[in-house]
Amino acid sequence: MRRLAALAAAVAAIAILVTACGGSNSESSSSSGSTGSESDGGGDHSITVWDYYGSATPIKPAVEEFRKLHPDIKVDYQVLDYETIQDKFSVAVSSGSPPDVATLDMTWIPTYASKGLLADISSLSGGELNGAAIEDQYSQGALDSMTYDEKYVTMLYDFDAYALYYRADKLKEKGIAVPENWDEFREAASELAERDSGGKAKKYAFQVLPDTFHYDQFLLQNKGSILNSDWTEAALDSPAGEGALEYFKGFLEDGSGIYWGKDQGDSTGLPGIKDERIGMFLNGPYMMGVLKDGVPEQKGDWKVALAPVGQQEGSYLGGTGLAIPVNAGDTEDAWTFVQFLLQKEQQLAVYTEAGAAPATEEALNSAELNKPDPFFGGEAPFGVFRQALKSATPFPYVRSWTQIDRAVEDGVTSALLGDKSASDALAGSAGRIDELLGQES
Amino acid sequence: MGVLRTLGASRLRRVGEGYALITPAMLVATLFLFIPIALSAYWSMTEYNGLTSPRWVGFDNYTYLLSDPEFTKAFVNTVIFVSLGMTIGPALGLITALLLNEKVPWRGAFRTAYFLPVTTSLVVVAVVWKLLLNQDGVVNWFLSLFGIPGHAWLADSSTALPSVAAASIWQGLGFETVVFLAALQSIPGYLYDAAKVDGAGAWARFRHVTLPGLRPTILFVFVIGIIGSFQVFDQVFVMTQGGPSGATTTIVYDLVQRFRDLDLGKASAVAYLLLMILGAISLFQFWIFERRSR
Repeated sequence: MRRLAALAAAVAAIAILVTACGGSNSESSSSSGSTGSESDGGGDHSITVWDYYGSATPIKPAVEEFRKLHPDIKVDYQVLDYETIQDKFSVAVSSGSPPDVATLDMTWIPTYASKGLLADISSLSGGELNGAAIEDQYSQGALDSMTYDEKYVTMLYDFDAYALYYRADKLKEKGIAVPENWDEFREAASELAERDSGGKAKKYAFQVLPDTFHYDQFLLQNKGSILNSDWTEAALDSPAGEGALEYFKGFLEDGSGIYWGKDQGDSTGLPGIKDERIGMFLNGPYMMGVLKDGVPEQKGDWKVALAPVGQQEGSYLGGTGLAIPVNAGDTEDAWTFVQFLLQKEQQLAVYTEAGAAPATEEALNSAELNKPDPFFGGEAPFGVFRQALKSATPFPYVRSWTQIDRAVEDGVTSALLGDKSASDALAGSAGRIDELLGQES
Repeated sequence: MGVLRTLGASRLRRVGEGYALITPAMLVATLFLFIPIALSAYWSMTEYNGLTSPRWVGFDNYTYLLSDPEFTKAFVNTVIFVSLGMTIGPALGLITALLLNEKVPWRGAFRTAYFLPVTTSLVVVAVVWKLLLNQDGVVNWFLSLFGIPGHAWLADSSTALPSVAAASIWQGLGFETVVFLAALQSIPGYLYDAAKVDGAGAWARFRHVTLPGLRPTILFVFVIGIIGSFQVFDQVFVMTQGGPSGATTTIVYDLVQRFRDLDLGKASAVAYLLLMILGAISLFQFWIFERRSR
């Protein structure tokens, strides 16, 4: 009897195991879309959308609107967080069960595009977005950032270009003019910051973030670049590159800057803004929403100005791209959804819901985005970011970009921390970058 | 003849039942362990991004990694982390166990208190330590009470790795304490009595009675501890994300970065290099143990 029971248990266990494996296979094949037969209308139209925006997302309300307009397309909307979506996207694409549309940071796009993981939106769209040519709906910088190998691989949903956020109330109190160039910037930061007995900034400091985005801001303004024009060699170890890094480091040396590394946990700097350690920072339009949500008590204290100009205007260009993986199950319906998100009403929601900057020209030039904002002292900050977008440059589209990004960041960090001189730090980064680019050719 | 047939059928039935019972576990292990291990070994010899077909490159990934400065840095960082953790951790664990082995009041409560961090998620421990070691954290506040200036423990490349190690040592201390305590209590008391009769002092008793009695436990702690320490990831991911400037990037963190870059071939090669390193270290440890035992 005992033996029979044991045998029965073993057979039952095997049956459960086989059923479970069979069940999961059918789920994965349906989510991977069965090679597009669903998009041909042969069965249910169904797309999976991944969204990393967080609680103030403009995409979730857009999904509800989309469902009403397209009841035949089933949308499986999934929320992921920014910190982990990159890993999950890699796993999903490599395992053959990718989403159909995903929000991806534009700095990740070069790696995915160069490995052929993103769908060719040029052929999917026929060059048109919502009935008009794509070229007519974005700035040149935005178009460049969406293009790899002469085809569009993503559609810019919101953009990120840097401007100067500053505590206008404190500048006024101390009689400091809003800086317009690097000399004035250094002076203003020095006068604004309050220092401790050791000469280090303790209040109203300029936030010094040791990452490629912020270094690139100064590098571009100093007429430098990370790579040469055909992206085959490092170019940051130049007099322009060293000058930019020395200038950036100068904020820490004169005690007007506060080093804000990864140990702080929150790259927005919100904890430092809240307790007033930070009085000035360079960042993108999304920080407008972060400030309004995070420090409502500082309404009216902050304003936005063009980033102080070095030898020329310049900013890195990033943001969020809407990407369709090349092995997505239903690329046509995915493109329908992407187009919906890029219509004017949905683009305006990027600002009204998330406080970020829409990417299309039609939305950027609309009256709704250029109204005076009481949080920013009754000024209309969007005009500043539109101006920054004109001179913004995306990162190079090379396969090893994420490793190059790390090499730049490591060099910048070691110079800012005083572990190496600016020239040694950049020479080290350049050597590593040349090695990585050499492997690509 | 009938008796022999009966004996054979009975044995067959017993063997068959055994195999039937272990089949589900073997199926699971094959599907989720052995097949992935074999696939990973294959991928480690290919250039593979997870989407297009793997391209065979033989041992190129391995030769690349052995001369890659990023991997070398990750290896060195890991060795430093393991050295710190596996000298300070077991030493503190043994000292704590020796103290708890005495007849102290509230011994049970102390034992529970020391073991609580072991039951806490590594991620939670890392988040708490990150807050403690923040530039405006509790550690710097405590130092300021004595007029000592604070330090950017996690933002300074010379202190970031020891800071991550400190969090790990704190978290693992309870496990080592409990294991050593159990081993101490299994050493026969008469050995200590005999040593005392022979005039052995406390240090001599520790050297000649306690340590030999703990030898198998010390081997266990070091083998398990070194294998675990070499695979450190959670604390690095939460506390420093491998920075600053790669100062806390470890072998597994390097593996995850390569996976994130969709360089699955090299990521798999890192995994196998780690396996070889751990295998070599474990064999060496067992060899040392065998020699000492003779």
